Amino acid sequence: MSVVVARGRKTGEWLADPGFGVYVHIPFCRHRCNYCDFNTYEGLDALHGPYVDALVAEIRSWDGVRRPATSVFIGGGTPTLLAPRDLGRVLDAVDEVFGIAPGAEVTVEANPETVDRPRFEGLVAAGVNRVSVGMQSAVPHVLKALGRTHDPRAPLDAIDAARAAGIGEVNLDLIYGSPWETAEDWRQSLATVSAACPDHVSAYALTVEEGTPLHTLVATGRVPDVDPDTQAARFEVAQRELAEQGYHRYEVSNWSRPGRASDHNVLYWSAGNYVGFGAGAHSHIDGHRWWTTRLPRDYIDAVTAGASTVAGDESLDPEARAAEALVLGLRLASGVPVEDFANRFGDGCLEQRRARLDELEGLGLLDLADGRIRLTPAATLVGNEVAARLL
Amino acid sequence: MDQQHQRAIAVIAHIDHGKSTLSDRLLQLTGTVSERDMREQYLDKMDLERERGITIKAAAVRMTYRAADGLDYEINLIDTPGHVDFGYEVSRSLAACDGVLLLVDAAQGIEAQTLTNLYLAVDAGLEIIPVLNKIDLPAAQPDRYAEEIASLIGCDPSDVFRISAKTGEGVPELLEAIVARIPPPKGDESAPLRALVFDSIYDAYRGVIAYIRVVDGRVKARQRIHFMAAETDAEADEIGIMAPEQISVDALEAGEVGYLIAGIKNVSLAKVGDTVTAGDKPATEPLPGYREPKPMVFAGIYPIDGDDFPLLRDALEKLKLNDAALVYEPESSTALGFGFRCGFLGLLHMEIVRERLEREFDLSLIATAPSVGYEVQLMGSSKIEVRNPTDLPDPGKIEAIYEPYVSVMIVTPTEFVGTVMQLCQDRRGELKEMHYLSTERVEIRYHMPLGEIIFDFFDQLKSRTKGYASLDYEPVGLHPSNLVKVDVLLNQQPVDAFSTIVHRDKAYGYGKTMTERLRKLIPRQLFDVPIQAAIGSRVIARETVKAKRKDVIAKCYGGDITRKRKLLEKQKEGKKRMKQIGSVEVPQSAFIEALRVDQEVTTT
Repeated sequence: MSVVVARGRKTGEWLADPGFGVYVHIPFCRHRCNYCDFNTYEGLDALHGPYVDALVAEIRSWDGVRRPATSVFIGGGTPTLLAPRDLGRVLDAVDEVFGIAPGAEVTVEANPETVDRPRFEGLVAAGVNRVSVGMQSAVPHVLKALGRTHDPRAPLDAIDAARAAGIGEVNLDLIYGSPWETAEDWRQSLATVSAACPDHVSAYALTVEEGTPLHTLVATGRVPDVDPDTQAARFEVAQRELAEQGYHRYEVSNWSRPGRASDHNVLYWSAGNYVGFGAGAHSHIDGHRWWTTRLPRDYIDAVTAGASTVAGDESLDPEARAAEALVLGLRLASGVPVEDFANRFGDGCLEQRRARLDELEGLGLLDLADGRIRLTPAATLVGNEVAARLL
Repeated sequence: MDQQHQRAIAVIAHIDHGKSTLSDRLLQLTGTVSERDMREQYLDKMDLERERGITIKAAAVRMTYRAADGLDYEINLIDTPGHVDFGYEVSRSLAACDGVLLLVDAAQGIEAQTLTNLYLAVDAGLEIIPVLNKIDLPAAQPDRYAEEIASLIGCDPSDVFRISAKTGEGVPELLEAIVARIPPPKGDESAPLRALVFDSIYDAYRGVIAYIRVVDGRVKARQRIHFMAAETDAEADEIGIMAPEQISVDALEAGEVGYLIAGIKNVSLAKVGDTVTAGDKPATEPLPGYREPKPMVFAGIYPIDGDDFPLLRDALEKLKLNDAALVYEPESSTALGFGFRCGFLGLLHMEIVRERLEREFDLSLIATAPSVGYEVQLMGSSKIEVRNPTDLPDPGKIEAIYEPYVSVMIVTPTEFVGTVMQLCQDRRGELKEMHYLSTERVEIRYHMPLGEIIFDFFDQLKSRTKGYASLDYEPVGLHPSNLVKVDVLLNQQPVDAFSTIVHRDKAYGYGKTMTERLRKLIPRQLFDVPIQAAIGSRVIARETVKAKRKDVIAKCYGGDITRKRKLLEKQKEGKKRMKQIGSVEVPQSAFIEALRVDQEVTTT
């Protein structure tokens, strides 16, 4: 299978033309992990059917801009809790309303316990060409502490099955720097990933989010808090090990083999347009952002009643939008090409920040060479500091 | 009433030893307050009402007592301020008296502050009537404490009155003793007016209310008067007595005690200790003993919110109307912004002022560590006073530094003598006297630098003696000391709010404590931040805040950029509130936390 991709796509670089994305949220999990603060719920099996119906209805009733989707991302939750046929109905609706562009990246997030080869074959038939498997760690005690119920082998079996079924690209998700993980544990996870040769690796530093069981454990002193220095050290190990295996880090937490970066991911950091469907989904079109009601029941009721699912929105003025775009773009290793950026957002943003940019360059945090603005390698892990100075 | 039938007394007592209850009994037995109107802690409650603006302070109460000899006597009960910083005010109250009741709890014995005041009364040559109160308590040990008191004032234990102010037992006998043993005043009724101001307060409606005892001559309503020390001229709008309610009178005669209102705008124009004389026929000499209030302890007071600076200035102006001892001048600090260097009589005075500023004026304040006033002899011949450690000149220009010393009196159970002496020695104290009040209790007197007292000494004393020791101190002048200024530097930049003057032997301890404390409070920056303590250019302690290694949001969930941006905006707002010390960003909260005085500084 060969696909012609638009210039710059799949490289992980900032996109002058980010395309158009569609996000679909599946807010169900069999078991919720203790660190997770995503919009997902256990025990709502009875809602699966009505939810899919509501999704299809919401997509079909879309009356905004209709552009061919260059990427579709079905995230969760655990999308693979739903039958491939159901996900297929959703993708059909997206194709019907927006059109899925030729060669578009169509990703589904998968929990290793909910997939096998027939399921992946179903997904391929539904139009899925990329899966992202939640692996998190290759070490049993770390998986257990994180509240993951699968064994270390399961994610590897899952990507084998995916490939055998004809899924073109696979990603493995990792979490590092949890209080239970040793340096050796982390090296073992990285080695396991390398041996499995995925096209893409996402490695996220564990964040203790308020409202999660993990937060309570930390707040009450039963679990030590994550240590930023340890996380920095883990990141550096990942950086080294994955580079050795031919992975390029194109974003703070994302690595890929050449030409296998995630377009949907890059679209976010390139301040692109996307529409989100489902409970608690976020959308962005040209500076206008909105998000939908979080509870699946409320979402289904709203769609069924023909009412709006929108729970909140905001509009950014051009100045704020440009500043945000700059800050988002700096997440990418490629940084922001000055000329392309100015074409999309005008000159004002960078002009106004000239002194600040120079100052940050002087501090060794920004690299302004080659017509780009990008974080120096040293600044990658302190990106918030740079962002807070540029907003 | 003629002087022969006047008596003015004060009650010297520790807090909770029963002064208020005794006052109640005296008011009752003399019929000053009727049975129907009587309530507990009568005078204290009047004072509380005064705070709410209903009546004026019961600084002195006149009672008329018909004694066993069938004659009527006017007994004036003069209140004494009850705390350690107001030794001078106490001495003026006592100067207005003919004698004192030394009131001691029969279950507790005498405490340090009572002792100090007792010595003041002895020095003033006042007749002292020793009284043990609360003899009705099961824990009372009247024999034991009678011995203690007798050995202190040189009387026979049987001369010590034993009463229960609560039940009234022994109080009639005490009233008789007041008349019989306390001498009447011996003023010159025909001499020009001289009246001692023993208290003065500011009232928003009436101006200053001065509480006076007429020593010589008489003062009449609407006459011209002159305050000799403050050189204030005024007209007596109203004079009167408290019985205990306020009653205006036409005149106060020699020996009488009362109040005087003269439309004066500020208490520094009618200060405690001043002498009131007649405007037309003034006395040539004022009454002895007047002293200008002298601030002993200094601290920078800053509003936490810089916008409150004008409010703080107005609040200090208002407090000053009622507090002649408070001094202040504006100062600025790189760490804390704009504020005032304030001078206080002592630590407690500082606490009171600060609490009033916060409570009555709704201000949030931060105070620098308190310091004392130093006298610095410069090379050559000139001398300067230093009230803020930052103002201390370069060591090379200094010939000598003099610091204020105090005489510290501590009363403690004997079992704690060792630990108390250890504490005093650690604070550069020099033992002057040790006197066993009884086999169980000791009075210890040290001379030590005031600067050693003002930093958590009292807390240490209390914690080392399980709360049993009591403390009092009084200034005894300036002494040369081997003092140095310790600066605290953040990334080579001095942080003025942390500069301090300490004895050379303690410089390291201070430097180590402050650098360690700051290391925990200064957020990590993008570079290593050295925190140093230095004497001049010599670094004596160093800590490092390691550079921040990771501060980045891990991921963006499902395109929720809004949340990510809000986190970053919060971070940006946080930066705006930071104070910039050189290139280091420090949240104001770090300074506030580091300046909390309740933390102990290592002093070894």
